[in-house]
Amino acid sequence: MRRSLPARVGIYAVLLAAAVAMVLPFWWALTTSFKLPGDIFSGSPIPDPFTLANYQDVFRRLPFPTYFLNSVIVSGLVVGLNVIFGTAAAYAFAKLRFPGRDLIFFLFLLTLMVPFQVNLIPLYRIMVELHKIVPAIGVDTYFGIVAPGAVQVFGIFLMRQFLRSIPDEVLESARIDGASEWRILRSIVFPLAGPGIATLAIFTFIAAWNDFLWPLVVTNSDAMRTLPVGLALLARRNTVVWGQTMAGTVVAVAPMVIVFLLLQRRFIEGLTAGAVKDVG
Amino acid sequence: MARTIAKRFRAGVPGYVLVAPAVLVTVVFLVIPMIQTGYWSLTVYNGVKPPQFVGLQNYIDLLTDPRFLRIIQNTVFFVVMGMAIGPVLGLASAVLLNQSVRLRALFRTTFFLPTMVSLVAVATVWKMLYQDQGMINQVLATFGLSGTDWLNDPTTALPAVVVTSIWQGFGFETVVFLAALQSIPREFYDAARVDGAGAWAQFRHVTLPGLRYTIVFVYVVGIIGSFQVFDQVFVMTQGRPGISTRTMVYELVEQFQNLRLGTASAIAYILLIILAVMSYIQIRLGEGD
Repeated sequence: MRRSLPARVGIYAVLLAAAVAMVLPFWWALTTSFKLPGDIFSGSPIPDPFTLANYQDVFRRLPFPTYFLNSVIVSGLVVGLNVIFGTAAAYAFAKLRFPGRDLIFFLFLLTLMVPFQVNLIPLYRIMVELHKIVPAIGVDTYFGIVAPGAVQVFGIFLMRQFLRSIPDEVLESARIDGASEWRILRSIVFPLAGPGIATLAIFTFIAAWNDFLWPLVVTNSDAMRTLPVGLALLARRNTVVWGQTMAGTVVAVAPMVIVFLLLQRRFIEGLTAGAVKDVG
Repeated sequence: MARTIAKRFRAGVPGYVLVAPAVLVTVVFLVIPMIQTGYWSLTVYNGVKPPQFVGLQNYIDLLTDPRFLRIIQNTVFFVVMGMAIGPVLGLASAVLLNQSVRLRALFRTTFFLPTMVSLVAVATVWKMLYQDQGMINQVLATFGLSGTDWLNDPTTALPAVVVTSIWQGFGFETVVFLAALQSIPREFYDAARVDGAGAWAQFRHVTLPGLRYTIVFVYVVGIIGSFQVFDQVFVMTQGRPGISTRTMVYELVEQFQNLRLGTASAIAYILLIILAVMSYIQIRLGEGD
């Protein structure tokens, strides 16, 4: 439907204003990271003179490459574990029959109501005890950061919806050919569930990459901290050296922004999964 | 009889094996800790000496303490203000984007960008913008307005944290509502027009009913997330000035660090109860007709 010229101008003006409001803080963070300390509050939208000193300083003070690597490892593990275990469980809930199936699934759904903070303190204590028995796991280890999020119920729920669309005949004929359920899962379900797995992977990746409270609590050495934790501690300590803090922020944010811009359609679908009721 | 049951369980073995890891992780890292927190909330416990049972005393102490009531009030203010403004802005921008605008994808990407970024990074940037000589006050000055030291002024600190959070969630809400708008069949609007409905009547009688499920989704996710606000407070204000930006989860974490585990556990359960009640109400509202 065509609208009148003033109406269209109005729509674009509002959208443009919103776009500026969304981009300006990013632009300000980026340019501040290239400014000299004396120019931080100069109000100039362009750094002049341009300096990389903030990056050098913040890298010298804090092990950002380590934070980055930790974030990659933690997110990778969370995604991998959720894809494998979440899909396996979702397949059982969607396509297999076993006594108690619907009850177990219902109990899973109930756990979605429980905010993470309720489990925070006991989880920390579990990790402390585990660390005493086996130093490689528990507090301040990758295991400790990853384990509580290794299987996320929302992921199971999402995949179950998805796997229900695989026709039973396909699975039935594989069973008649003598394939085991494990074999069916590996050679039929995983390949057919590609788009669903992509959604699950993106969803868990974003959550894990940005997760803060648990990694903050369960790590206590710079060697194990993830990007949000390292950045938050820097931002809290530093109320003066904004150039360095923004350099740290840019380093923490840039990888995610780049991945998002490359895969944005999939990202948007992944993050908004479940928000629109299926008509079919 | 016994044999058929045994048979059904045997046939179910692959199912049990496949759900076992998920059940194990959930029981060990969610169900058992949840029960433990529930028990600790009824005790005085510092993590060293054995917990000492005190019944509901922690709850009574918290709910009669003006300081904690102020913390609940802060949290509710954060939720209500954020939810009153954020989704409405998101819906408005989705409605605009759903007109035949050029560059829709570009706008959508731009709006969505902050959603991808960790709250910690967003809060760090906004903390700088809110500084006394920061960007916001500079922009205001060019319009001849004078700002304040936003994060150090007890009247503006909490609203400032809310604004940051709305900014972060705006793109998510826009994208979700846009997807929902596009799923409403065109014929509904055509039919409404034939019946003589104007723009507002169409919005009221076609768009809003069509968005019902998504509105409930946005509010369920938004309210549950907002009650758990922590990252922004940790980075931007540490609960200050005074306790004017202190929220329930921030208080929980601090009581945990101070080894008042009984009190911290009781705060966790108060949060759990609030969220359970909210979810129940919203899901009932969503069912409707």
